[in-house]
Amino acid sequence: MSVSNLLQNWSAVRHTHPVGDAPHAEYKWAMAIDLDACTGCNACSVACYAENNLPAVGKDKFEHGQQMHWMRIERYWDEDGRDMPDQGAQFLPMMCQHCEAAPCETVCPVGATNHTADGLNSQVYNRCVGSRYCSANCPFKVRYFNWYSYPDQEISWPSPMEQQLNPDVTVRTKGVMEKCTFCVQRLTVAKHNARNEGRLVQDGEVQTACQQACPTSAISFGNLVDPASKVAKQWKAQQVELAVDKQAKDEGDDSHEVGEHHSTTKLRGYRIFEELRAYPSVMYLERVRESAV
Amino acid sequence: MIENEFNRRDFLKVLGWGGAAVAVSGCGFTSVQDGVENVVSYVEANEYMIPGIGVYFNSTCAQCDAACGITGKVREGRVLKLEGNAASSINRGRLCGLGQAGVQAHYNPDRVTEPRTGKGEKLDWEKALGQVKEKLTGVSGDEIAFLTGNLSGHLKVLLGNYMDALGSKNHFVYDAVAPAVMRASNKKAYGNEMPALRLDKAKVIVSFGADFLGSWVSPVNFSQQYAQFRKGVNNGGRGVLVQIEPKMTLTGANADRWIPANPGTEGVLALGLINALGAAGVSIPSDIAASVSAYGVERVSKDTGVSAEQIQKLAAVLKERSPSLVIAGGGAEGYAHGSQNAAAVALLNQVLGNVGKTVEAPSVVPFPQLAPTAGGTAGLKAFNDGLAAGKFKVVFTLGANPVYSAPAFMKLADNLKKAAFKVALADAIDETAAQADLVLPLDSAMESWGTVVAEYQAGDAHIGIQQPLMERLYDNTRSAGDILLSLVKQQKADDYKAFEDYYAYLRGAVVQAKGSLGGAGMDDDEFWSTVLSSGMVKTGNASSSLRTSASAVTLPAAAVADAAFPLRLLPYVQPSMRDGRHANLPWLQESPDPLTTIVWDSWVEMHPKTAAKLGIVEGDIVEVTSKSGSIKAQAYIFPGIHPDAVSVPFGNGHTELGRYAKGVGANVFQMLDPVFDQETGELAINETHVKVSKTGKRVIVVKEEGAAGGSQAGKKIAGRLASNNVDLSKEV
Amino acid sequence: MGKDIREDISWAKINTDVLKSLESPRPLYWVIVGVALLMFLGGVSLEAYQYRQGMGVANLNNPHVWGLFIATFIFWIGMSHSGTLLSAILHLMHADWRKPIYRFAEAMTTFSLMTAGLFVMVHLGRLWQFYYSLPYPNERGLWPNFQSPLLWDAMAIFTYLSSSVIFLFIGMIPDLAICRDHLHPGWRKKLYTVLALGWEGTDRQWRNFRVTYLTVACYLIPLAVSVHSIVASDFAMSQQPGWHVTSFPPYFVAGALYSGCAAIITLFIILRYVFKFEEYMTLPILKKTARLTFAIAMVWTYLNAIEFASVWYSHDQASKDVLIQKATGPYAFAWWGMIICGSVVPLALAFKKVQTNIPMLFSVSLLLNLGMWLERWMIVAPTFSHGYYPWTWDHDQWPSFVQWGMVFASFGWFTLLFMIFCKVFPSVSMYEVKEMVYHRSLASKMGGKGGH
Ligand SMILES: Nc1nc2c(c(=O)[nH]1)N[C@H]1C(S)=C(S)[C@@H](COP(=O)(O)OP(=O)(O)OC[C@H]3O[C@@H](n4cnc5c(=O)[nH]c(N)nc54)[C@H](O)[C@@H]3O)O[C@H]1N2
Ligand code: SF4
Ligand code: SF4
Ligand code: SF4
Ligand code: SF4
Ligand code: SF4
Repeated sequence: MSVSNLLQNWSAVRHTHPVGDAPHAEYKWAMAIDLDACTGCNACSVACYAENNLPAVGKDKFEHGQQMHWMRIERYWDEDGRDMPDQGAQFLPMMCQHCEAAPCETVCPVGATNHTADGLNSQVYNRCVGSRYCSANCPFKVRYFNWYSYPDQEISWPSPMEQQLNPDVTVRTKGVMEKCTFCVQRLTVAKHNARNEGRLVQDGEVQTACQQACPTSAISFGNLVDPASKVAKQWKAQQVELAVDKQAKDEGDDSHEVGEHHSTTKLRGYRIFEELRAYPSVMYLERVRESAV
Repeated sequence: MIENEFNRRDFLKVLGWGGAAVAVSGCGFTSVQDGVENVVSYVEANEYMIPGIGVYFNSTCAQCDAACGITGKVREGRVLKLEGNAASSINRGRLCGLGQAGVQAHYNPDRVTEPRTGKGEKLDWEKALGQVKEKLTGVSGDEIAFLTGNLSGHLKVLLGNYMDALGSKNHFVYDAVAPAVMRASNKKAYGNEMPALRLDKAKVIVSFGADFLGSWVSPVNFSQQYAQFRKGVNNGGRGVLVQIEPKMTLTGANADRWIPANPGTEGVLALGLINALGAAGVSIPSDIAASVSAYGVERVSKDTGVSAEQIQKLAAVLKERSPSLVIAGGGAEGYAHGSQNAAAVALLNQVLGNVGKTVEAPSVVPFPQLAPTAGGTAGLKAFNDGLAAGKFKVVFTLGANPVYSAPAFMKLADNLKKAAFKVALADAIDETAAQADLVLPLDSAMESWGTVVAEYQAGDAHIGIQQPLMERLYDNTRSAGDILLSLVKQQKADDYKAFEDYYAYLRGAVVQAKGSLGGAGMDDDEFWSTVLSSGMVKTGNASSSLRTSASAVTLPAAAVADAAFPLRLLPYVQPSMRDGRHANLPWLQESPDPLTTIVWDSWVEMHPKTAAKLGIVEGDIVEVTSKSGSIKAQAYIFPGIHPDAVSVPFGNGHTELGRYAKGVGANVFQMLDPVFDQETGELAINETHVKVSKTGKRVIVVKEEGAAGGSQAGKKIAGRLASNNVDLSKEV
Repeated sequence: MGKDIREDISWAKINTDVLKSLESPRPLYWVIVGVALLMFLGGVSLEAYQYRQGMGVANLNNPHVWGLFIATFIFWIGMSHSGTLLSAILHLMHADWRKPIYRFAEAMTTFSLMTAGLFVMVHLGRLWQFYYSLPYPNERGLWPNFQSPLLWDAMAIFTYLSSSVIFLFIGMIPDLAICRDHLHPGWRKKLYTVLALGWEGTDRQWRNFRVTYLTVACYLIPLAVSVHSIVASDFAMSQQPGWHVTSFPPYFVAGALYSGCAAIITLFIILRYVFKFEEYMTLPILKKTARLTFAIAMVWTYLNAIEFASVWYSHDQASKDVLIQKATGPYAFAWWGMIICGSVVPLALAFKKVQTNIPMLFSVSLLLNLGMWLERWMIVAPTFSHGYYPWTWDHDQWPSFVQWGMVFASFGWFTLLFMIFCKVFPSVSMYEVKEMVYHRSLASKMGGKGGH
């Protein structure tokens, strides 16, 4: 290991945000979540617990805000002062948005959270010192810190519950940060298999656990580089571009209002906090409500 | 294999094919088992089992009665995760949170692992079963009762045969939160208890309190249909959902319009809509038109609290957009006049001409002996009446926890003491098992063999196959099938001597019928392999049909309010907790209720106005008192509830059931008033009237929602668009 | 105004008076040391508890991931600016009234940094892996992330600490020689002999000494400014509402100087009383310090106002919300406490009566310290409670006894270090006081005018 090596690699590290001169080569994992289909049922969240060895923390710790769900379902109400929420609630599944210019990455003192070549915001548990700066700087607050050693907590995996743990996923130790990985263990297997067969991962070959469980198929996931993938088609159809901070949908629309979004276009794809220029890899599709009734 | 003295009829009955035309004939990687009771260990692993590589086995979800197909991922001999079985027409590869938590039921640290006496002494199986036999000697059939949850498949067959052998007719089927009223009213209206609903074909769905996305009948199936309905895949444009219910359910939260009609007035609204449709020119049979003539918009608006304008709008949309689908669910049925409400809603459906379009004749498994016996609270009541009268000496329970879920007015726990010998077949010490004299520990669903027939068959009718996904965790648990087989053998050893265990019985039964199950050309092993690898047997549909003729409905006069108990209690069937049997699964306790986002507790939901009137704020511990009992729980101020009602979820408030359930929240079952649906005798769960008072204590409500409540604080986070701006069917 | 030091104190008396502070301690000393030690040990046991159980016992949560540890870290870093200010800045400005008090101020710098460093440590989720943040060549080619302000922080603090120690040490050399020469044989004598580096007070030595001291002073000033600018960058370089403020670096530096001055007044009064340094730590010097503090308080107030105004008139609603939240939310008591202690209380320092009234000054200085501690808390906490993402707003996050206990313990640790220092090293610079007395006597001979 040498300093010259460091200097050599440095510019490469700084290029993880794929702009014109360094686009994603083979893979760029991305998601689209259709809020009109999502019912808020929580199946995705439970699936994530099962797949990714998330601990149940119990009531006390939950009370202190120490819950560990990588995928949380948020429930919003209309805010126009109506007596009754007669247009229902709005549900939003929220997890790490795998920002292309991730605010969490630049601040980590030890480089424990990184951008991978296929566009994931990765989290290297072994490297993390637990400074929590990444969480401090995440606009979406989707990072979850191991406040305790959950395997030692009586509530999380008392014997024989530990037998359910997924051996493909680390059980995290106290003091490290974690968050949605886009089920990277599944991606790794898929890429490995594809590589062995001398091809790229095909659309539908790999699913995230949340996507797989979702009863309404509200979540699609895939490779944005592959124009044939469903997710790439969705992004394209919604004219949402990865490395752009003002999407077609927002052109000529300054309202940005909660509730009815009076768009001139027929697009409903958007990314949350576009204005922060984190370039998330998750596109949401607006919920639709009928006014005729 | 078949003994000669054993006649064919009996044989079919033993195997569960009785009453059907079954062609009886002579007996890859498919299953963990490959025919033996124990999972092959890694010392001599099957060649397809590679350390580090997951192997997938198909089975059937046992977490609720929807019977979704599951695919279990098994690694190094342990089941790790459940996915939906893509081949199942019920869930098509999807799975709800409750279903996912099946693995936690399996690995639950509080499972009961040995047969034990009421005092907690451990027994071996021989002694335990010996005790049952001993206690049954000299007891007449009438003095024996068996209370179960819904049963289907060969377990039901065995139980039936056991009861026959005992000469008992006292098999009671009990489901605390069953759609039992709906079954009856469907039977009356359509000639079928469980027609197939085509949500995906409807342009408009009006649901009267059916939480089909949350907890009603077959939520995963309906959720999938719902997604298609919204996308406009089969109905030519985005479907519109209107939910009529005084307590917002998950389905209500997803509706385009959620209408909190006055509790119990669902029938009035349905008849009012028929009237309005008639007025708008929809052709309605004259007798029906006459019967609804009293339900003018004004009156209906007054009775239901729904604005006249809203009723007109609704009628207009229903008229314009056909076919529609109108459904009645628990919200409409839990009243003394629940059956009439449901009938009125069914009538609306018929008037709209939806029968045959969005309400279809269901797929039916052509083996009535295997068909599910679906119960409700009437079964519990009958069971309890028998106990109270001291009629039962020996009582069995399986898949039901009446001590927890029977309302206090039934005094079931006391009545149960009158039975001299109580046997609980249970996987954990729940409230009922805690009172038993003998507890027979069950295998988990991941360890059991079984066949399951879903009551709601969504596509091609099939029998779900339940197979072990891994070796038993504990040596001394047994599957319900094995226990029943042992018990029936005690009575009729000869009939069953060919079957060493339930596996052999089940395999024998399925293989015997291969001719009518699509396996005519295969040898037994091949056929069995096919069955196991797909996790189900497609049976072909028995013919079924629906009645389209409609008949008038009369509704009773509105009930008068009780000044002492001014609020109505609308208990909530929470999607992940249901009747409380899964309260011991931490994933579910920690999975926030979708609407309130509360975890690990019960709560009393009330409208901000009601709370303000009572001076209650979030977190106040309030006492909710009915004539029949009271509970204490934290208040949660919730806009999605009728101001004259409060709601408390079912499922928590256990005094047993292990570390994750015990002492969590309050049990709302126990305070229900003794009001029953007049036609079906089902407990009317929405007929309890309560008063709410502060206890002076206050807690922090443990929930997912943060300090901003449900506010986006002016930021565009969850976006929304009016439907006229988009055409979803054109989207990717 | 009275004379800042008597011009007729004999050099021998200066030696005797100061060296007396190194003699066998009075009981009060032991009481203070004992209490400080207990406080510190309390913190050590809390840390042991937290280390074993996990950070959760501090009652931090997602997303409220930082709390009093970071706030108190900034507080102590701020304190460390006192020494640099009094020694280096005033030295370069030839304000020789600093002479009797700069030594303990420098010690304060060093010890504040050592205290601040502890907070970085106890804050880490995996304290046992702290060295991952050091840039050392390793086989896996892993380097820390040079882009992270936290890394700059670590480096800056380390540099500042080592420089401060060197500065403190160099400035002490002539005094160490005095100690060496005046003490009876024993471990102390040996220590001073080693540390005095063979100082004999030759012309050449003095010349070299002056140049070196000046050079290090010059070096230390930008370092001090950079340290707190970098601490400010931890916040300003982030993207969070309430933190993403361009004026943070000067604001932080001003705050640092401010809290440093306030702490000097506090310690000044304590030392003056405990070691009977009335002759050296005189009221006129105190008065000057008070005036300096007043001036800095006003600068800080101004920068605070600028920050509020720039947030208020910006288009960033999220930042504005945080500000409103600070003033009206559950942290309002602390925020208004900060305003009152930080901007209103120092107005008292404008009054001459207060400037020379020791009990008043003492109380004021304590309030200022409190205000500055609150300031740090109010920088850290509200942004976590009220960030961009409304779903995760959490207004009720309250530090547990572990956090409070460690904050408390840090004062014990600091006191402990300081008390040990006072007994081992001369806390008043003998040679510089002699210089001062000499200059004063020269001046009065020349007619009461003139500086040094
Ligand atoms: N079945 C079996 N088990 C064994 C042994 C055995 O003989 N048979 N031998 C034992 C012994 S002696 C040893 S030393 C261990 C070795 O055990 P491992 O260290 O696991 O050795 P390999 O499987 O050879 O290599 C590990 C992985 O490194 C990858 N790899 C190759 N080159 C590179 C590289 O340049 N960079 C990176 N990042 N990866 C690379 C390979 O593709 C492979 O996936 O196994 C022990 N276990
Ligand atoms: S969402 Fe947060 S954690 Fe995820 S990449 Fe973006 S900034 Fe990082
Ligand atoms: S918590 Fe871990 S990943 Fe996050 S900034 Fe600190 S060291 Fe990096
Ligand atoms: S992508 Fe995987 S890790 Fe991320 S929320 Fe979904 S299931 Fe969890
Ligand atoms: S599983 Fe699907 S429908 Fe359910 S909450 Fe998650 S995204 Fe929404
Ligand atoms: S709906 Fe019922 S059967 Fe289907 S997955 Fe959920 S719990 Fe299992």
